[in-house]
Amino acid sequence: MKIKRSVAIPWHIIFIITIIILLYPIVFALGSSFKTLEDAYNNVLNIVPLNPTFENYITFFNSLPAFKITMNTFIIASVATIFKLITSFLAAYAFVFLQFKGKNILYFMLISTIFIPFTVTMIPNYLIISGIGLVNSVWGVILPQLANALGIFLMRQSMKTIPISLIEAAKLDHIGHARIMKDIVLPLVRPAVTSTGIWFFITTWNEYVWPVLILKSKENYTLPLALQMYISSEGGTNFTVAMAVSVITMIIPLTLYLIFQKYIIGTFTSSGIK
Amino acid sequence: MSDGTVLKNKESWKTYCLLIPTLIIFSIFMFWPFLYTIYLSFFDWNMITPTKEFVGLKNYIDVLSDRNTYKILGNTFIYIAFLLVINCIIPYLFAFVLDLILKRFNGFYKSALFLPAFISLVVGSILFTWILNPVSGPVAIILGWFGIEMPIWSKLDGWVILVLSLITSWKVFGYNFIVLYASINGISREIIEAARLDNVPLWKIFFHIVLPMSSATGIYVFIITIVQGLQYVFTPIKVITQGGPNYASSNAIYHAYHEAFVLYRTGHSAALSIMTMLIFFILLVLEFKFVERGIYYEN
Repeated sequence: MKIKRSVAIPWHIIFIITIIILLYPIVFALGSSFKTLEDAYNNVLNIVPLNPTFENYITFFNSLPAFKITMNTFIIASVATIFKLITSFLAAYAFVFLQFKGKNILYFMLISTIFIPFTVTMIPNYLIISGIGLVNSVWGVILPQLANALGIFLMRQSMKTIPISLIEAAKLDHIGHARIMKDIVLPLVRPAVTSTGIWFFITTWNEYVWPVLILKSKENYTLPLALQMYISSEGGTNFTVAMAVSVITMIIPLTLYLIFQKYIIGTFTSSGIK
Repeated sequence: MSDGTVLKNKESWKTYCLLIPTLIIFSIFMFWPFLYTIYLSFFDWNMITPTKEFVGLKNYIDVLSDRNTYKILGNTFIYIAFLLVINCIIPYLFAFVLDLILKRFNGFYKSALFLPAFISLVVGSILFTWILNPVSGPVAIILGWFGIEMPIWSKLDGWVILVLSLITSWKVFGYNFIVLYASINGISREIIEAARLDNVPLWKIFFHIVLPMSSATGIYVFIITIVQGLQYVFTPIKVITQGGPNYASSNAIYHAYHEAFVLYRTGHSAALSIMTMLIFFILLVLEFKFVERGIYYEN
């Protein structure tokens, strides 16, 4: 039975309106970031700038150590992502292909941490990082994030689709675990590794709660921390600069998403929940 | 026999090598902090003095006898209600509609709805502060055409929670939608097609086939909407209102942060965190008990 057009068309309209509402802020930021302040205040509803200017971007790079801030964000996101991928991959391999005592309990303990609110661990974590002198350092932001429960979960889901007989056959041929991982498992789960990696990179890039506790001085800030400074000027004169910093903060995640969206949506839609 | 044991020992040695990096990080930065927070909840401390004073249950009593706690708890439940409607019920409906009713532009709808999930909530907070500026923002201007005056939401009880929930939902909606869509899309087509051939109305298909058969995912989304949703709201609260005006936008998560890193009362913060976690835990147990019978586990 086909769906009637009279049912489908109103829903198309609802979807399109929802998408316009969701995407409008991005377009608004992009347009405003190239406006002069006067233009931004006088023509709020006009997305396209009257006299496009790079002034706002230049102001950001002149008023803050913008290059250092961007590099900090990049370093934190890359290092954390690489480590999280490695630790998740190894742990997921153990959970899927090896038998050991307490396997299910351990897996359950790791995964249930997804549901622990960060406030439960924030004070001790802050004390640890401050105890080893890493407050106000990008390494203090990175250190607690070298392993990740969601990563273990997503990789395990993907590895579970590999026939166990393939691994058994390799073991009978006396092929070591290192080679099984590298030559058999990794090629088969590469799409999941790629999209999990991109998801890690983007979430760490965007991270706010933990860096805001650890990073104190402007030259150690990440982009989201630099951006939040512009809120205090509500109604002030920094509006268009704030839009430029917003664009800089979101350009990398958006580009990655647009390039890899097929992979990413695939991983989140095929992994299932359990 | 002995051969088998040797193999087993070798295997378990390798197993631990694979798990050790994860276990070290989780022990230091998750399990130990968890226990230490419970410990801290029985002490009076300000993170600076070298000695902690044992006070028994006093922190819990202090938190429970503070009037602000009840305001904040009330706010927390209002946040949960808003977040559940916007990020659980509506995405469920959207996922159902996209899978069963809309046959064109499916790929585009999925990509576009998921897109804000990849943007920092600080960006979202800044953009919406301007877009929803009650005097000069675009929304205020458009409402002005119809003679509607926009409330000064950041200063009004209730409104402030609604707007902060909407800003958070801008980011969270797409992820929940994609996960629910995947689950609904995985339901056997034959059952749905058979129901359609029998002219079963769509709302019945939703409630009698789709909802029960995707309920495992539904519960997962329900839980993360509460547990992670409240943590996501932290960002707009911190960036836009700092919990104000007069605690009107604070929730249990933000207040625990406020007690620890603004007022330096680690005992209160720890006690509040532990109680929040217990409330989450009770919610989860109730939810499982409540819907257990109806669950259909996919795969």
